[in-house]
Amino acid sequence: MRMPLLALLAKEPAHGYELKTQLEQLFGEAYPTPNIGQIYVTLQRLERDGLVRSQDVIQATRPNKRVYELTDAGREAVVGWIDATSEGPRIRDEFFMKLALSQLSGTSDRLGLINRQRRHYLMQMRSLSELAIRADRRIPRLLVEGAMLHLQADLDWLQRCQEELL
Amino acid sequence: MARWIRADLRASKARALAIVGVVAGVVLALLLSAGLLQDATNPWQGIFTATKGAQIWLHLSPGTDVSKLSEQLTGIQAVAGPYSSTAASVILRGQRTRVELRSMTPVLPAVGRPLITSGGWLTARSVHGVVLEASFAQALHAPVGSSLVLDNVDETARLDARVVGIAETSDQGFYPDQTPGLIWVLPTLLREIEPIAGRTEEVVGLRIADPAATSIVVQQVVTQLGSSAVGTVSTWQQVQQSMSRRDPLLGLLLALFGLMALGAAVLAVINVTSGRVLLQNADLGMLKTLGFTPLQVASMMTAEHAIFTAAGILAGLGAARLLTPLLLGSVPGVSAAAATVPSGWAGIIIGGTFGVVLLATAAPAWQAGRVKPIAAVRSAPPRGHLSRLAGFAMAARMPPAVVLGARAAFVRKLSAALTICGLAIPMLMITIALGFWATLDDVQRNPADIGLAASVTASPGSLTPAQADRVVRADSQVRAAYYCVRVEALVPGETTTITTLGMGSSQDPYPFHVVQGHLYHAPEQAVATDALLTSLGVRIGQFVRMWFGGVPVTFQIVGRIIDPQYGGEVIAYGRDTLADEGAAAPIGFYSLILRPGVSPADAVARLMRASDGRMDVAIVSNPADQLGIVQAALAALIAVLAVIALTSLLTASLLGYRDHERDVSVLRAMGLTPLQVRSALMTRTTVLALMAVVVGAAVGRLVSTSLVSAVSRLYGLGSGIGRPPSYATLAAAIGLAIGAAAVAGMLPTRPLGRLPRVTVLGP
Amino acid sequence: MTEVAANGNGGRLLLRASSLSKTYIGDGVVVPAVRGADLQLEHGEFVAITGPSGSGKSTLLHMLGGLERPTTGEIWLNGERVDKFSQARWAILRRRHIGFVFQFFNLVSNMTVADNVELAALMAGASRKHAKARRIELLGDLGLATKADAAPARLSGGEQQRVALARAMVNRPLLLLADEPTGNLDSAGAMAVLRLLDRAHADGQSILLVTHDLRVASAADRVVSLFDGMIVDDAPMPVKPRPTPLPDVLKLRG
Repeated sequence: MRMPLLALLAKEPAHGYELKTQLEQLFGEAYPTPNIGQIYVTLQRLERDGLVRSQDVIQATRPNKRVYELTDAGREAVVGWIDATSEGPRIRDEFFMKLALSQLSGTSDRLGLINRQRRHYLMQMRSLSELAIRADRRIPRLLVEGAMLHLQADLDWLQRCQEELL
Repeated sequence: MARWIRADLRASKARALAIVGVVAGVVLALLLSAGLLQDATNPWQGIFTATKGAQIWLHLSPGTDVSKLSEQLTGIQAVAGPYSSTAASVILRGQRTRVELRSMTPVLPAVGRPLITSGGWLTARSVHGVVLEASFAQALHAPVGSSLVLDNVDETARLDARVVGIAETSDQGFYPDQTPGLIWVLPTLLREIEPIAGRTEEVVGLRIADPAATSIVVQQVVTQLGSSAVGTVSTWQQVQQSMSRRDPLLGLLLALFGLMALGAAVLAVINVTSGRVLLQNADLGMLKTLGFTPLQVASMMTAEHAIFTAAGILAGLGAARLLTPLLLGSVPGVSAAAATVPSGWAGIIIGGTFGVVLLATAAPAWQAGRVKPIAAVRSAPPRGHLSRLAGFAMAARMPPAVVLGARAAFVRKLSAALTICGLAIPMLMITIALGFWATLDDVQRNPADIGLAASVTASPGSLTPAQADRVVRADSQVRAAYYCVRVEALVPGETTTITTLGMGSSQDPYPFHVVQGHLYHAPEQAVATDALLTSLGVRIGQFVRMWFGGVPVTFQIVGRIIDPQYGGEVIAYGRDTLADEGAAAPIGFYSLILRPGVSPADAVARLMRASDGRMDVAIVSNPADQLGIVQAALAALIAVLAVIALTSLLTASLLGYRDHERDVSVLRAMGLTPLQVRSALMTRTTVLALMAVVVGAAVGRLVSTSLVSAVSRLYGLGSGIGRPPSYATLAAAIGLAIGAAAVAGMLPTRPLGRLPRVTVLGP
Repeated sequence: MTEVAANGNGGRLLLRASSLSKTYIGDGVVVPAVRGADLQLEHGEFVAITGPSGSGKSTLLHMLGGLERPTTGEIWLNGERVDKFSQARWAILRRRHIGFVFQFFNLVSNMTVADNVELAALMAGASRKHAKARRIELLGDLGLATKADAAPARLSGGEQQRVALARAMVNRPLLLLADEPTGNLDSAGAMAVLRLLDRAHADGQSILLVTHDLRVASAADRVVSLFDGMIVDDAPMPVKPRPTPLPDVLKLRG
């Protein structure tokens, strides 16, 4: 949750409710957006970490709203996050978020993103292949094969993204 | 089931048409053969049926009352006539011939109606129009439109007439075996020619219920009418006898061909059908998957083919009905009655064709039933080897396309065998047909080869022999003149006399075509035809003794000739033999050989002029002239056979393409250009065709000569007139066949130029 | 007339393609299958081309093998300009110097396995003895010696592809081109084919193949990515594997 919020703020400052709306518009029903309370908690933590700063805006007829914006440190974090390759079971979600947000945040080109991820998959597959050669018992070999199949699926999905979003 | 058949029909129109076409062609050929065969062996029967003839014809004195005949005598179904008839003569090209004029009305009668073969019947409008009897018209060379002069026996009438039609009749035998010739005229014309009533006779025809009782009926009629009233009686047996002995060449030929065409058609059908089973494996498998039993699938295929066959038979019948009058009507010598095939024959032909073709589909249908219900698994070709031969050929740098193509032809052994047979048999028959054609051509162009060196005969008539001799030898267009005599001789063992010919002299013999031995060069030497030698039981080199009016003469047979006269039984020698032996020789005639390019009609006219019309000059008819229809029939037969062969070719080509299709990518990857890939496919079909065609032509050439000899021996001509098709013709035919095979091989490959997107699609 | 390729490596390039494009025109529709592709292959290199279907991979490969004619662009093979070659010259090139393997229908269906392999050798001009010897060697290496006499239809997909590779390599071609060689196979078959490719590569065979299989691509020296007819990435794979710890993907998720 931290990084998407940071990435959204990279485009322009916004307050908590706007961020929630943007998240919903971006991901729709496929991704459950956290409630507004969680968002505020995360924003506060980010502020505590020095990645965002907040400002109160006085409104005449309504309660004051707090607008958040990125600090330089926050901007660096966003760039670093997007440039880094993604890992783990939530890899797809994270990568997709990066892809979807990259155009908005203007921080990196999508093609490059996809290429980097692909190269990463290739490297991983290479490692797995060598592992498969070294594995001499059935269970480890099956594990490796399972991982390979997942990787292949990931690559196929990567290509689908490429088709749709580029 | 019906739905599948309908859908399948829509999908494979070409194949359906092919089968229908083949069957139609075969039925047509068979019907033609049957008609002609009947005409050849029993011409009377055909004419009798077609003319609804009368079995008994009577010439009665004028005024005889025949009106009560049918009531008084039970056996009589109908009475034709009475028709007035008189003796007269016709003058054509200066020559006078005796005829019988018979008057009939423009309305054709129900019984004994002459069968028009060309032109039309008498009409009231054309008062001087006459209709000639067919054999007479042919002998006279008087086609429709010719002008004649009719004259009565007193030579006082001299009327101009025009031939408006030619018809056949079953009431008398063929001219000139039966004379005089018959001409039908309007009653008015008859009266003009012969006004004297007493000179005419009444001609009456009787159609009886039981032909076997003919003689009984004749007796009854004569008794009834009184023998003084009855002039001559002729019965159907006499007429039939007189009409027979025509050349069976035609009918036998075509019967033979019809049957062989059927055989070739069977092969074609098998080829098409089994090829189709292989091609549509997937669909048939699908049927099985849907739950059809093997028996149902097989019967569906059979039913479908039954429909095709029935359609083909109907088409063939229709074509026969349309074409036979066209084909037969235009050629003399063949009765138009041949166009009506007796229903017995027609039934056998139809039933036989249907049965045979259905049998032909039995094997492929069973195959179809056995197709496994694995959907869309195309049958891969069986395991083949790159044989040692092919390996050698490739190593020897022969074009790889040719090697691969040739090898691929034999991978499916059964299919290759079927294709080769399916092509060789038509080729064999075409070669035989070409051989017959060559023979006929030769006979027509060189009548001397069948003993007809002379095209004109001339008898002195009212001139003295010396005068006649002068006239004949003075004519510049006559190349050679041989004085000949016709003498009856008695041979031991024969009850009747045989006609012998003294043609020319031993020093100057008539140039017979001698096929074995040599011509007579000395007295007491003779040549004879094969038929006569057989009936006398004599061989070349042996002796035969004959009595000429009591004078015995012994001949040595020195040669065998071909001569169509006298039913093929001829013996000839030099006239001087008779003189030497003291046998009396009757007045002879001249056999005249004209210079090349001279028309016999011209020569006759000139000789008549030179002799002031007192010589009897006639044109010798070449029986081969009648055989023009055979050439037409042969051409049609060759066309049918070509179609049959083409069907086999196309099926083989399609199968080959299908097997080949999948290999195209590999072959291109291995380094064959698109042209080479196409050539391989083309080679496949061409190799098969080449083998088949060469074998068929070689065997055909060997066989055709002996076949013609066999047939001509039957005819009485003896062997020796057979001519095989020339090498040039055969080469052309083979070349055409190979060309067709190459094209057929190329046809499915038009999209093969580019690499097909087979690599992206699934199997 | 051949022109010599000038390249920066002093002539060591086996294959060089520049600005290669292929446009299909038909029925009023213009389809640019490949647009301006630049590709290089060194001797002994193993390059994989990946991309989604419809990206033009097969077309590109076919152009490099002479089975499709490029609309524009140049192809240099071993220093010789080949894109303008006639069909006949390409065919000769394919007999001796280029081996091509397809995804399907890689063997002549009416010949035995052994004959298929030998035919390729015979077509290149080898003697019958040599062809037979090479065939025995290759099929033995592949473990398919027992199937030498069988019809192609009797082999499994993987076996067929292995034989196809044998056929393509029987003449030790300069360049081995393969279009989705494992596309039609199950994982066992794919592994067998991959082992074969690795071994050939280790023996010095130059390989250029099209694949959507990540595993096959990861075995290459370089992976070129094609998208919508254009090359979007050209990723060299390290010669030695990075000493990565056990990849995270293997850690059991809890």
